[in-house]
Amino acid sequence: MHKSFGSLEVLKGIDLEVAQGEVICILGASGSGKSTLLRCINQLTIPDRGTIRINGEQIGYELATNGDLKKAPQTKLAKQRSRIGYVFQQFNLWPHRTVLGNVIEALKIVKKMGTDQAEQIAIDRITEVGLLDWKDEYPATLSGGQQQRVAIARMLAMEPDVMLFDEPTSALDPERVGEVIEVMKALAAKGHTMILATHELNFARDTADRAIFIDEGVIVEQAPAQIFFSKPNSQRLGSFLKRMSM
Amino acid sequence: MEFEFRFDIVWNNFPLLLEGVQTTIILSLLTMLLGTVIGLFVAIVRLRARKIFTVPLIIYVEVFRGTPGLIQIVWIYYCLPIVTGLQLDAFTSLVIAMALNVGSYLSEVFRAGIQAVNKGHIEAAAALGFRPGQITRRVVVPQAAYRMIPAIGNVFVSAIKLSSLCSVLGMAELMYQGQIIIANFFRPIEVFTVVALIYLIMAYSTSLFMMYLEWKLAWVRRENVPFFENFKQISRSAFQIKPQGDL
Repeated sequence: MHKSFGSLEVLKGIDLEVAQGEVICILGASGSGKSTLLRCINQLTIPDRGTIRINGEQIGYELATNGDLKKAPQTKLAKQRSRIGYVFQQFNLWPHRTVLGNVIEALKIVKKMGTDQAEQIAIDRITEVGLLDWKDEYPATLSGGQQQRVAIARMLAMEPDVMLFDEPTSALDPERVGEVIEVMKALAAKGHTMILATHELNFARDTADRAIFIDEGVIVEQAPAQIFFSKPNSQRLGSFLKRMSM
Repeated sequence: MEFEFRFDIVWNNFPLLLEGVQTTIILSLLTMLLGTVIGLFVAIVRLRARKIFTVPLIIYVEVFRGTPGLIQIVWIYYCLPIVTGLQLDAFTSLVIAMALNVGSYLSEVFRAGIQAVNKGHIEAAAALGFRPGQITRRVVVPQAAYRMIPAIGNVFVSAIKLSSLCSVLGMAELMYQGQIIIANFFRPIEVFTVVALIYLIMAYSTSLFMMYLEWKLAWVRRENVPFFENFKQISRSAFQIKPQGDL
């Protein structure tokens, strides 16, 4: 996959295959292309070249009646996106909806569920992230960690095939990181397919099946998490890990 | 010689003023309504359409914000028929002129309000599978509408006062009726004072209505404060109101 912004080539050919149930952590310095890669997967950023396939279906495209691939219309893309969960660094909860309202919204609008059914699912997911007591609060009254957990619940409610986390703990106060990490660990343990861009080395080491190091728009190194951290092959990863663990 | 206020003259002719009030209200409401439609159209086209389509709209906005309302009113009434051959009655041409004026201001209010919606909130909806129209209805409009209300209120209040210019074309609205009384009794100070008070009442009613709308649309209402309580709080300490929701 390739992506440039103007003359700046951010992704210079990234090939990545993820198995069902696999948890992948993408590491790399700021500006290395981690977020861009995740954003390209669900077409929040449109890649210049390259394809994304999930369960064989190419995201952003559809098969025309004559068998050719053509650019998918917005409705088709929306449907594809509804099966890709995305958690943002900045949570992006809707301020005009309560916790419950945030989680229900997509169920009602995208999945066209009735209020009762949507509410039942939403309550389950909110309970799963431990915020049932907060369900009628508005996001502005929650801490960053709580907001991020609501964002995760909102994503979970859609039962996506794959979950993308774009630096989910980077905007949090240090003492709030733990509660979000706990939720993500629980999700990983349940066998969800997850791709995370993160700076949390400990989380990556403990939870990821595979860790990937991106630098200057290419995958420099990828390995099972244990090997990745204990025996970095390349000099670039070695010095990155050293800097990060300081 | 001491000046003697003669408000009795105003009271004696009050029915005349009330007739004017009626016309002023009709003119203002139509202006607001049509101006809102124009403003929304211009704002949406400027945000969505290609550059070439937006250029004439930018020129429109700048011309109507940058020239005196009086000249706009006179020009549309007298010059439009000359240029286009389209003969409009005074009322229609006045409403069109004022709506174009109000619309130019409102378009900027709407444009700013829509643009101010956090892009992340829109992306969150897109990532969950919302279609563009659903994002507009469920995410953009509720947030933008609430935040735009004070600015819309400004423009609406100005629209009421703008309608006083219609007197130059002989439209029998409040200002015109006042001038008629002045011409008959030579009492400009008393008449203008009362006319100003009536404008103030209309403007303040508009402000109250906008405050009500703002209260109605506010998403975080502390303990469901009723409107009147909320209003008392606002009037008591306008500067202590905390911004609600994230910015």
